Amino acid sequence: SLQEKEELIEEWQPEPLVPPVSKDHPSLNYNIVSGPPAHKIIVNGKECINFASFNFLGLLDNEKVKNAAQASLKKYGVGTCGPRGFYGTFDVHLELEERLAKFMRTEEAIIYSYGFATIASAIPAYSKRGDIMFVDEAACFAIQKGLQASRSNIKLFKHNDMAYLERLLKEQETEDQKNPRKARVTRRFIVVEGLYMNTGDICPLPELIKLKYKYKVRIFLEESLSFGVLGEHGRGITEHFGVNIDDIDLISANMENSLASIGGFCCGRSFVIDHQ
Amino acid sequence: IHHIVQNGGLYKKPFNEAFEETPMLVAVLTYVGYGVLTLFGYLRDFLRQWKIEKCQNATEREEQKDFVPLYQDFENFYNRNLYMRIRDSWNRPICSVPGAKVDMMERVSHDYNWTFTYTGRVIKDVINMGSYNYLGFAQNSGACQEAAAEVLSRYGAGVCSTRQEMGNLDKHEELEKLVARFLGVESAMAYGMGFATNSMNIPALVNKGCLILSDELNHASLVLGARLSGATIRVFKHNNMQSLEKLLRDAIVHGQPRTRRPWKKILILVEGIYSMEGSIVRLPEVIALKKKYKSYLYLDEAHSIGALGPSGRGVVEYFGLNPEDVDVMMGTFTKSFGAAGGYIGGKKELIDYLRIHSHSAVYATSLSPPVVQQIITSMKCIMGEDGSSIGKTCVQQLAENTRYFRRRLKEMGFIIYGNEDSPVVPLMLYMPAKIGAFGREMLKRNIGVVVVGFPATPIIESRARFCLSAAHTKEILDTALKEISEVGDLLQVKYSRHRLVPLLDRPFDETTYEETED
Repeated sequence: SLQEKEELIEEWQPEPLVPPVSKDHPSLNYNIVSGPPAHKIIVNGKECINFASFNFLGLLDNEKVKNAAQASLKKYGVGTCGPRGFYGTFDVHLELEERLAKFMRTEEAIIYSYGFATIASAIPAYSKRGDIMFVDEAACFAIQKGLQASRSNIKLFKHNDMAYLERLLKEQETEDQKNPRKARVTRRFIVVEGLYMNTGDICPLPELIKLKYKYKVRIFLEESLSFGVLGEHGRGITEHFGVNIDDIDLISANMENSLASIGGFCCGRSFVIDHQ
Repeated sequence: IHHIVQNGGLYKKPFNEAFEETPMLVAVLTYVGYGVLTLFGYLRDFLRQWKIEKCQNATEREEQKDFVPLYQDFENFYNRNLYMRIRDSWNRPICSVPGAKVDMMERVSHDYNWTFTYTGRVIKDVINMGSYNYLGFAQNSGACQEAAAEVLSRYGAGVCSTRQEMGNLDKHEELEKLVARFLGVESAMAYGMGFATNSMNIPALVNKGCLILSDELNHASLVLGARLSGATIRVFKHNNMQSLEKLLRDAIVHGQPRTRRPWKKILILVEGIYSMEGSIVRLPEVIALKKKYKSYLYLDEAHSIGALGPSGRGVVEYFGLNPEDVDVMMGTFTKSFGAAGGYIGGKKELIDYLRIHSHSAVYATSLSPPVVQQIITSMKCIMGEDGSSIGKTCVQQLAENTRYFRRRLKEMGFIIYGNEDSPVVPLMLYMPAKIGAFGREMLKRNIGVVVVGFPATPIIESRARFCLSAAHTKEILDTALKEISEVGDLLQVKYSRHRLVPLLDRPFDETTYEETED
């Protein structure tokens, strides 16, 4: 009745919006860095050698990079004031995409404005509810968020354990044979990283390629840390192992580590990239 | 029928919002148009399957032909047949600063928009009515740019580390204190990307067992954040306070759906200005409801910060309310400040909690130093702290431009949605063919506009959207209005059945926020 409802509304007490945090929580007070976060870094007033930033190639205070950035600042200003679809595409964006595609020797590349969002948006674009993804246990947080947003079935396999993965794939195959109609429309993906952020080791790519053709799954490779680091010219783990780059369906990387800037890119064949 | 709502006791000035209904004939013709296009789409798919017509999509690799197909055929039906025909209205590349006038790269297509080639010529001085440049800070010269250049040479272009590790520069601390002062809240925190701010912080605030009430037309970032959090989501009709109240009462009285336990907390998600409709949230009523039912309010001011309010502080100042009433004030720096990134402002406990638990602080890189400097300079300019009155003039110029532009368009007879004071002006087109035609005709006359159709809007309500800027002078607006009127006559989009009587005495309303409209 109406009066009971009013009483219930009066009595209800919500939780506080955020639980209180103690003042000595270690992550609460950040270290303040003054000056450029280059090889020698000034933290909280003390000068230290920097072993903490991901500045692998030292491009953070490279003069050539800074001069080019200054020139484009004079030409374009700081912000783009719009998404890519509505007058936010500059000729420099297009040039960067062409050069990335040529460097990685793929057909096309597409750039994003934020590294975290790159892989977290790329995965849900291809994998929807009902598709199956085989993911390494030590996958980084951005991949986990992408998987959560895509609502697909996730099967984790032990870190870098190819035998475990093969067992999971075999199980999937036996299940497929029971229900062939459904199997024909569920897509299957393996998501791995070139250099794992959580453990620091490399994934065994040639074995993954063999598994790919044997069980007909597609591979998404996340090269945030290995781009610019592995391989003879810095093209990443495909060059490191000498694998044909067309075998990988999608390579995604963020430019915040070796390239000392902000953003990310995905590259691959036009068939795959056009969809994004 | 105009739905003009006058004030309740909570509003200090009239709240004029109008969504004129679609004329019946136009709606019928639009459906017919889409029907014809769908039929043609099926016909062409049929021809492509039987190889009578060439298929120009990229195709799968030879070795992978027997894999499960990556895309369903039907998903791309809309893409292949309808979107491809008018694809040249989007993703137009530009090659100068996105100010009031912009240089566009010319591109042509010889095979009906499947591929584009750049002729190498540049179309100069196209009037830009598409970029989100509300206060005109997209400049490549002046105080903002010089400060940013200096920071760039000192700090470099990137920060190769997350916020909790070595990524917290002294510039970030300065920025956060400034943002907190600007908004009038206790403290604030800045993030690298506006979209990611929403999708990574809503999960930190709510989780399973909580309820989220979100507006029908909320942006994709809010929807994604709500989904990722795992809370129950209920949608109320756009800007409809009765619907919101009903949902609140039902939620508190009945509790969680199956267990009937009371909800842990209730969070209301609204936006300041909705970018597709141009409407402003009814903030006084939302705050009254929030206080009555003890829930929390999350306000996304992506478009309204800098653009509304007598000194540019957003929708809270526009209504004359207290910023401490809003629990979480979120906004982006991309639109009015000419930079990139997002922020969240609120009480100190909230921000402290977010510093520790937000996904963005732990895993994602922080803002880049020259961007931070641009925000600091532009915010100081708006607040008037750099000694000049550029900020105040920009805000007033934007308000005058908005009123003038909207009034003139309504006099011409177009259907314009949204609130009188919002700088986002949607002009209804409805029919699918006119979407492409409007975009191309305006470009021929050297004006760049944004057209939107399905899926960003409901299928029959496609529109052209103008974003006004303080950088637009009266001459630019007059030229644009003349061309829009010409194109409107050519395409017959002047659907409105209620014409405003044109003001004969003054050329445009000179009212500022202190006076009231007649």
